[in-house]
This record gives sequence, structure tokens and C-alpha cells, in this order.
Amino acid sequence: MWATNLRIIGIVVGTLALYTLIANKIPQVQSEVPHALSLGANVTPEQLVSAGDQLYHGAGGCTACHGLGTRAPNLLTDEKGQGPIGARCGKREPGKDCKAYIYESLTSPRAYVVSGYEPIMPEMGRTLSPQQLWALVAFLESNGGTVDVTASDIPPASGSAAPAATGGGGGAPGIAGGSTDPMTIIRGAGCTGCHKMNGEGGAIGPDLTHVGSRLSANLIRESILLPDAKTAKGYEKFKGVMPKMFGNQLTAAQLESLVEFLSSHK
Amino acid sequence: MPDHLLLQAVADTAGAYRDFPVIGSRAAVWIAAEIHLMFAAFVLGVPIFAVVAEAIGIFGKDQRYDRLSKEFTRLLLIAYSATAIWGAVLVFLLSTLYPRFWAYLTAIFGTSMWVYVSIFFLESFTLYLYYYGWDRWKYGRAKIVHLGLGILLNIWGTTVMFIADSWLTYMMTPPRDITPETSPTSIKLWHAILNHTWMPINIHRLIGNVVFGGAIVGAYASYRFLASKTDEERAHYDWMGYVGNFIAISALIVLPFAGYWLGREIYQYDQSMGITMMGGFMSWLWVIQAFLIAVLFLTGNYYLWIGMGRIPGAERYRPYTKWLLLILVLGALVWGTPHTMIADSRELAAMGGSHHPLLGALGVMSAKNTAVNLMILATFLSFLLYRRANIRPVVPWAPTGTRIQAGMFAIAAAVVLFFGIRGYFVEAIVRIGYSVYQVGAVLACIVFVTIIDVLMARGAQSLGAIQWGKMPPRSQYALFILAVTFTWLMGLMGFARSGIRQHWHVWQVMQDTTPYAATPALGYAAIMISTCVLIFLSLVGFIFWLGGLAEKSTFVPSTVEAPHVGH
Repeated sequence: MWATNLRIIGIVVGTLALYTLIANKIPQVQSEVPHALSLGANVTPEQLVSAGDQLYHGAGGCTACHGLGTRAPNLLTDEKGQGPIGARCGKREPGKDCKAYIYESLTSPRAYVVSGYEPIMPEMGRTLSPQQLWALVAFLESNGGTVDVTASDIPPASGSAAPAATGGGGGAPGIAGGSTDPMTIIRGAGCTGCHKMNGEGGAIGPDLTHVGSRLSANLIRESILLPDAKTAKGYEKFKGVMPKMFGNQLTAAQLESLVEFLSSHK
Repeated sequence: MPDHLLLQAVADTAGAYRDFPVIGSRAAVWIAAEIHLMFAAFVLGVPIFAVVAEAIGIFGKDQRYDRLSKEFTRLLLIAYSATAIWGAVLVFLLSTLYPRFWAYLTAIFGTSMWVYVSIFFLESFTLYLYYYGWDRWKYGRAKIVHLGLGILLNIWGTTVMFIADSWLTYMMTPPRDITPETSPTSIKLWHAILNHTWMPINIHRLIGNVVFGGAIVGAYASYRFLASKTDEERAHYDWMGYVGNFIAISALIVLPFAGYWLGREIYQYDQSMGITMMGGFMSWLWVIQAFLIAVLFLTGNYYLWIGMGRIPGAERYRPYTKWLLLILVLGALVWGTPHTMIADSRELAAMGGSHHPLLGALGVMSAKNTAVNLMILATFLSFLLYRRANIRPVVPWAPTGTRIQAGMFAIAAAVVLFFGIRGYFVEAIVRIGYSVYQVGAVLACIVFVTIIDVLMARGAQSLGAIQWGKMPPRSQYALFILAVTFTWLMGLMGFARSGIRQHWHVWQVMQDTTPYAATPALGYAAIMISTCVLIFLSLVGFIFWLGGLAEKSTFVPSTVEAPHVGH
């Protein structure tokens, strides 16, 4: 009977191991938690765009529908010859400018359902704060249009003590409050919204875990300052996605700290 | 309101949570909830078919079913204690690790929690009466009263489950008028209970519990079969394993329909929640689910086909099995085809777009619904062949009846294929409605073909008795694989249901602000599920072993031939 018992245990454990192995072999994606934004009176359009970019590609959940071409209109790329959303938003509703149109599309999505699509979009005001909504508006405007969202559009956050995880605090010196700690900069600049670092982060851009083995310090610096100068193989489709404002936002000390840190990751 | 969310996020960090050592509070609650649920599913599922078996024994005057029912019930006794213990562990963990959330839930559902405890108390003592009164109330009117106790046991059990379901479905789909500002004490209890997914979850779990109970009983019987020392004992447990498998697979066939209803309600409540579940970060989960369902269908059918080896006359149907296998394998491949997946740039480039140019067409619901319905039809045909294996109908209309049955299969398959193909050419909202026609055709086929078969089997000529016990050991190991897979699948689907809330304790009403707020990736979830299944099965094995120590098996050698289920 012992042989039978062992065989049963083997079958049970073997079956469990097989299922666990398969589940670990497929792409590992976990949900993202939207961080509260704290945007001060001196917030720049670039900071808004950067924060909106992270929300769009991450916790906002926008890419589950937008960009697939079936469930919802493309926003970052051309839609039926009208260009990306920033180029067409001002022409969608007579008398409504781009900023008002996008904001209302987020908060009352059923008011403007694009022909050929079903009214499936949730009211984003239920899950995102006004700060996050305006950051999204700025990001969407920046795709083919001009960003005209300003600090005056954004109501002050009541929970100002909430963690400022994205975009940098208005009035704070540069990204991540001017910190020169590389991981703080990486988090503050939202790099992991697109890049993987030690197994965490998105897959829009190249994995940064061993970037030092592929790129020299000079090339890493260039990639941060001029992201479109050279595109990593396999990521051509995403050329233009990486924001180009880090040269203005990072202090010299921050930039050098980041370059040194990444080039040491071999 | 969003400002309030920010305030809440800040406020929640102070004293709202405590952490559990080493594994963290999420993992601790996960394990307690999962194992409690597995035991609960077992103790709620088994009484359903125990009482049905007892009724068959009474009204069919077949003592074998009565003994089978008693043996099912004996398995329940200790499992009840385990359910209660794990339930208590869960409550203690929730109240100590998530005190603010627990206070919120109790503010709304406090009254229903008291009712829950009272009914659980009644349920336990009804079970004791039901089991220990078995031999005392054995004959005449007393036996009918005893059957009534079994029915009462099921009523209590179902009520308890419905109450607990209201708590978890409220977390998923709270009524839309409830916002973060709504004071929980102002929410009416019935308003919270009657939320969008309450009844779909109730029905889905009711059927799922029967499937699960059948699978665990099947595994128990197979263990006893392998440990049997006499042919008679082996024959008894072979029959019991067959009955457990029959119950599990029969209930499994209708489970997807309840799942569709639940899915539709989730989409109707909040499209983004449905999209997150089916096409967002959880999209790969359905590929794993398809693999598990394929294992279930293939293993269940394999067990039946091996079983036909012990039935004289079954050799007539052996040539058909390879075609059934082909349908099952092709169906499983289509059902497992990914469609809208989270992919990185290299994968997108390799596919040539967000969907694979060829396989993308097979990954849509039209193809998947068609595949699963054909798999169900193929499995039903396996059962039908098994049922008819050792009989030859003698009614004069038997050839016509068989032709009508074949026609019904052909019509059902044609309806499934027609709407499956047509689904590619219509809008999504129309396509969703087509699944109702496909399901309707399959269910109608199952019902009418079964009725014809039962009528045709009247007075049928026997080609020889089923040689119960003459099964190779590999058939019994198949039953173990079924039990493990059912249990794992339950854990996976529980993860899907709970995980689509993402960083919300109560969807868009109460945020989870712990470090564990994000729904983890499938790899981590799989490790948690396997851990829970292993703990559960180890405890079940221990409980069954204890049951064997305390009491002899209800098996009584008999010269009476065990019948087919349904004959």
C-alpha cells in the first residue's frame, strides 16, 4: 500500500507542480495601483504630460481598450485618417476646445461616443482624482496637439499629505524633490511605467536591469536626454513615446547619478 | 469625491491595517479564505447528492444507494469541523489584520452575520441528527422523515452560502448609489445584499459545489478502491468512484452557463471590470483556465472510455472514441487560443499586431463558444455510449429512436456551428446573444436525447452485467487528477473573481492602501493556489484516514448487481 500511497502523492504533487510551472512561464503582469498626485502651482506642462503618460500606460487602465483598434478609438496613433487625439480633439464638438472635450470625455464618457464604438468606457472621475484627470488631458493633448492645461485648471488636492509618486511636486527642485538617490529618481520620473528594473515595471521600453552591459555611460546619457536619437532594436514601434523633457527636469547631479547607476548595472 | 479618496488613502495608513509575519497579511487571509472555501464547498456539495442518493434508494427500493448516501454523509462529519475552524481563522485574521475594513463590513452586514451563525448552528445539529439517526429511522414513515432531515440540511447549507455570498459580492459590485461618502450604517441590509452579482454567484457556487463534492468523493472512492483487499470491496468502490465522477462531470457541463451569466452581470455592472477580467492584465488567466478545462474534459472522458472495458457489449462503440478524442482536442486548442493579450513590443512585433493574423480569429468568443459547446456534446455522447454499452433496446421503435437521437446531435452541432460562424459577421452585442442559442441547442439535445434513451432502455436486453471492480489502477489515478484539477480550478477562478477588484476592498468605494493592494501576477497566484490545494488535500486525506479509524466502511458485501446511474 505504501507504493500506492507514494504514487498518489506523486500524482497530486506532480499535477500541482505542472500547473504552477505553466502559470509561472507565461508573461507576469500584475495590476497597478494609481498613486495620488500632488501638483503645485508651479507645475509645468511637461510634468503633467509625464504624469499622464504613466497613468495612461499603467494604473489608468486606458490601454486595455485604446490602441487595440477594436474596442475603442486609437488615441496615440492615427484614427481613420484624423491623426492622434491631440490633432483631432478640437474638431470633435463644435464650440468645445480640445481641453474641454477630453476632460468631459473622461468624466462623462457617454456624452461623446465615437461612431462605430459601444459606450463601454467607465466614468474615470470615479477612480481618478482631478489632478490625475488633468494630467491625462495634458498627455492626450501632447499626442498630436498643444498642451494648454495649466495649474489654474487643477483644483488643489485636499489630501496634500498624500504621497507624490509621479510627476514631481510643483515648486520642488526637479524630479523627486531634487534627490540624487538613483532609485528615488527612477521612481519619481516614472521610468518603471515603461521600463523594467529588477523585474518590476512595464514592457513598453527596454529592460534596464542590465542596461550597463549593452550601453556605455555616454549612450545612456544620450538616451535620457534625446530618447529618439537611437531606438533599441525591437522597440521601433514605440519610438517617440519616451518624454523628451528630462534634460529640463533633472538637475545635473541627478542626471549624472542616474547615468552612473545605470551603467553599473551590467 | 476623488479628493475624498485621497483623504481616505492618507487616513487609512494610520491604524487601518496590521501586517502578518513573514508571509504578509494578504497571503495569510488568502490561505485562510481559500481553504475555508474548499471545505465549505465540500460540505455544501456532498449533502446535495447524498440526499438525492438516499431518495433514489427509498423510491427505487435499492439499498445500495442508501448505503452510498450514508458513506457520503460520514465524510461530512469531520469536514464540518474543519470548515468551522478555518472560518474562525479567517474571521480572526480579517478582524485583526484589516480592522477598518472589517468594521465597515460589519456595520453593513452585522445582522446577517448573526443570522449566519444561528443557521450554521442549526445546520450542524441537523447533520448530526441526519447521520446518527440513519439506522434508527430506517423504515417506513421514519425513513421519509429522515429524508426530510437531509433536505433540511441542504436548505440550511444553501441559506448559509447565500448569506456569505452577499458579503463578497457586495465587495465586488456594491450598488451604484453607494459612494465613499456613504456612511455604512446608513446602508440598508437588503439593498447591499441584492447587488448585481449576488444571485449569479449563488447559482454558480451551488453548481460548482456539486462538481467539487463529486470530484472529492470520486478521489476518496478511488483511494479505497486501490486499498481494497477483496473483489467485492473493489467493486463497491469502483461503483462509488463512477458515481462521484458522473456527478462531477454532469454538473460541470452546466457550470459554464452559470459562468456566462456571472460574466454578463459583471460587464453590465461595470464594463471596465469585465474588460480587466477578460482582456486586461488577467487575460492570460483564461488560457490557463482553458488548459485546466481541457484536462478535465480529457481525463473525465478517458475514465469513461477505460470504464467501457468492463462492460460487455461496449466494444461496439470503441471505434467512436478516437473521433470523440479528436473533437475534444481540437475544441481544447481553440478554447485555449489567446486573443487580446498583454504583450510586450517584441511579442507584438513577432505577431505582426495586437492579434495573431491566423490564430486571432480562433481566439474570439464566437470560436470559443463553438468549441466548448461541441466539447460538451462530445462528452455527453461518451456518457450515452457508456449507458447503452451493455444493453440492446427491444422496443419496436428503437431504430427510429436512435436515428432521431443522431438527428438531434446533428441539429445541435449544426446550430452551434452556424451561430459560431455567423458571429464573425455581426456586432458584438448581437454576437453575445448568439451564445444563448448555442447553449439552448446543446441543452435541448441533452434533455431530449436522454428522455428518448430512458424510454428506449425499458425492458432492454442485457448483454451482460457490468464487471464492477475490473478497472485498471490508471483509471483511479485519473480520478485523483480530476480532484486536484477541480480544486486548483476553483482556486484560480476565486483569484479571478476577487482579483478584478484590484486595489479596492469595495469596488470604487473603499480603497486598499496596504502594500499588497495590487492584484499579483499569475505566477505568484499559482504558488498560493497550489499551497492552498496541498494543505486542503493533506487535511482531507487526514480526515478520511481518521474516518477509517473511527468506523468501518459502510460497505456491505452484496450479490446484487450495482446499476448504472440513471438506470
